[in-house]
Amino acid sequence: MGFISLKNVRKVYRVGNEKVVALGRVNIEIERGEICCILGTSGSGKSTLLNIMAGLEKLSRGTVAIAGTDVTGFSEKKWALFRQKNIGFVFQSYGLMPSLTALKNVAMPLVFMGTGKNERFKRSAHMLKAVGLGDRMLHKPTQMSGGQQQRVGIARAFVSHPKIIFADEPTGNLDSKTSREVMGIMVSMAEEYGETLVIVTHDLEIAKFARRIITIHDGYVVNDSRSDTPGGSTERKDAV
Amino acid sequence: MKLRDMLSMAVSSLFKRKARTVLTVMGVVIGTCAIVIMISFGIGVQQSWMETMEQFGDLTSIQINGSMGAAMAGSSDAADISGGEDVKLDDKAVETIKNLPGVVAVTPAFYLNGVTISSGKYQFQGMIYGVNMADLKKLGYETEKGSLPGEKINKGDVLFGNNSAYDFMNTKKSTNNMINPTPKSDGTMPKPFVDLMKDKFELTVEVPEDSTQKQKAVKLNVLGVMKEDYSKQPQPSDSIFMDIDFAKQLQKKYNKLNKVKNDTLKEDGYQQVFVKAASVDEVESVEQQIKSMGFSTYSMTSERDSMNEQTKKIQMFLGGLGAISLLVAALGIANTMIMSIYERTREIGIMKVLGCVIRNIRTMFLIEAGAIGFIGGSLGIALSYLISHIINGVTAGSMGTGAGTGSGISVIPLWLSLGALAFSTLVGLLSGLHPANRAMKINALAAIKQE
Repeated sequence: MGFISLKNVRKVYRVGNEKVVALGRVNIEIERGEICCILGTSGSGKSTLLNIMAGLEKLSRGTVAIAGTDVTGFSEKKWALFRQKNIGFVFQSYGLMPSLTALKNVAMPLVFMGTGKNERFKRSAHMLKAVGLGDRMLHKPTQMSGGQQQRVGIARAFVSHPKIIFADEPTGNLDSKTSREVMGIMVSMAEEYGETLVIVTHDLEIAKFARRIITIHDGYVVNDSRSDTPGGSTERKDAV
Repeated sequence: MKLRDMLSMAVSSLFKRKARTVLTVMGVVIGTCAIVIMISFGIGVQQSWMETMEQFGDLTSIQINGSMGAAMAGSSDAADISGGEDVKLDDKAVETIKNLPGVVAVTPAFYLNGVTISSGKYQFQGMIYGVNMADLKKLGYETEKGSLPGEKINKGDVLFGNNSAYDFMNTKKSTNNMINPTPKSDGTMPKPFVDLMKDKFELTVEVPEDSTQKQKAVKLNVLGVMKEDYSKQPQPSDSIFMDIDFAKQLQKKYNKLNKVKNDTLKEDGYQQVFVKAASVDEVESVEQQIKSMGFSTYSMTSERDSMNEQTKKIQMFLGGLGAISLLVAALGIANTMIMSIYERTREIGIMKVLGCVIRNIRTMFLIEAGAIGFIGGSLGIALSYLISHIINGVTAGSMGTGAGTGSGISVIPLWLSLGALAFSTLVGLLSGLHPANRAMKINALAAIKQE
């Protein structure tokens, strides 16, 4: 069983009287420390998949297990505590608190965990330096460019050293040059800390940063390819 | 999440929206102020009535009437005396009353007849009472010169009333033989014939006019001069107090010398006994116990009760008026908090995704709402003290000192300000409850997508 294990996951939305199948029947195993990308067009169900893995959406059928724990039936509170310890999140629109400085934004997950103030700022400052924003610590999000804001977001996702980082269209609001920069930072940090990184995107260029690309179409995994070096795929396997 | 972090986050989000926070807080300030000022009027009314009543009589004092007193009080009251004529207000009864719970001090007021107190040619014309000298302190008597006696009382120890110096008559003159205690044109009091603290006074038992035997005078030892206090019974003003046992001996001697057969003290007991209760609240129970012994009593309690009833109604009415404005302020808080949730939906969503436990989100919102109530309440109380001070200043100026009461028409006791603070904080918390629950239920996913 993989580090993240999805078995027969199905998600059906009810829109009025109609049923919309977001995920048909998905089986995915992601290994610990793997850097993988879920690629799909809009409406393919890739975001739903991510949300289910992060406990933001309930699944209709199937089971999800993370690090050997069956999280399928977790309550909202249990999920919150689980995310605190195990999951970092990078948002498309950065998800920073506009009124807080970069340092305080990065420290946010540690606040929820109840970490002491000194420890919090030490670790946050360290993370900001790691993403190259050592000189921007007391700036507010509005005083920073999109790329810088996303780097703050990345620092925040990594600050608590979670086991898994989920990134939902992390470059969706950035130009291609900045996108590559941001992706480079994120992937290299994940490798450095040995963390599992799951990126959701519709952009094949972005997907190439990952060693494994899982392609989703209309709620089914249609392709799952691995490569030893990022940027190309050597192995192809058709989905069940 | 640590409470300190929740507090600082809640407070910083209040500071973020300064204008709105200030406006909402002002609503609470006005609401709190309205309640506090209104109730303070009610309390002011109550206190000034209380003070007026205290001028008429000590609220903790109970007067017990002996059989003579009861008879004088009117025949209709006789039915109240359950024990019939058999109950006697004697030393035994006084001792029993003294041991009742809630009783601090007891003294009979024994009116002594047939003795003369004089200093040279000046003779005392006022009242002479035999009282329980040792209890005077507890009964609330005070001296302006000298001091009240302690436990040990000697025969011949006396206390003068503050006005008694003017009660001495020059026996050598037939007219203009007393000095009126009215201020002269320059405002000073005329000098009385005697100096109570310096002159020597002696007491003689009167003998029948045809008698030739002379009684030996008893030298009096003046302990002090009592302060004026119209609320005390017996009143100090024109009286001389002495030890009750000595007074009874003197009375016996007079009765014997003058062949008075009828010893009223033995037959009927004391005419009046005064009891001091530990507090105003205990007056009623003490009075009830004494009544059940078969004596008729009188105290200010009944008047006080009906007065309390009335002031309570006034206070509730005024407080209700004030409460309306705090209710409006509560709506303001709820509105502010709901607005703030709409604005921060996205933030709340992000916080949830980052692993903030929903209960902590709720707590932060409650802290915010409670803080608005608390800050508003504190400022409201401060403002109330200021307004109260101004109102008292203005009314004291316009009414002059004619009201004669020490306190103003607006009185804010400590319990009122603390109560108002607790209440305004509670109102804040309650109005924040619904918005906080809403914040808790925000869908993280939808919230993040919101731009």
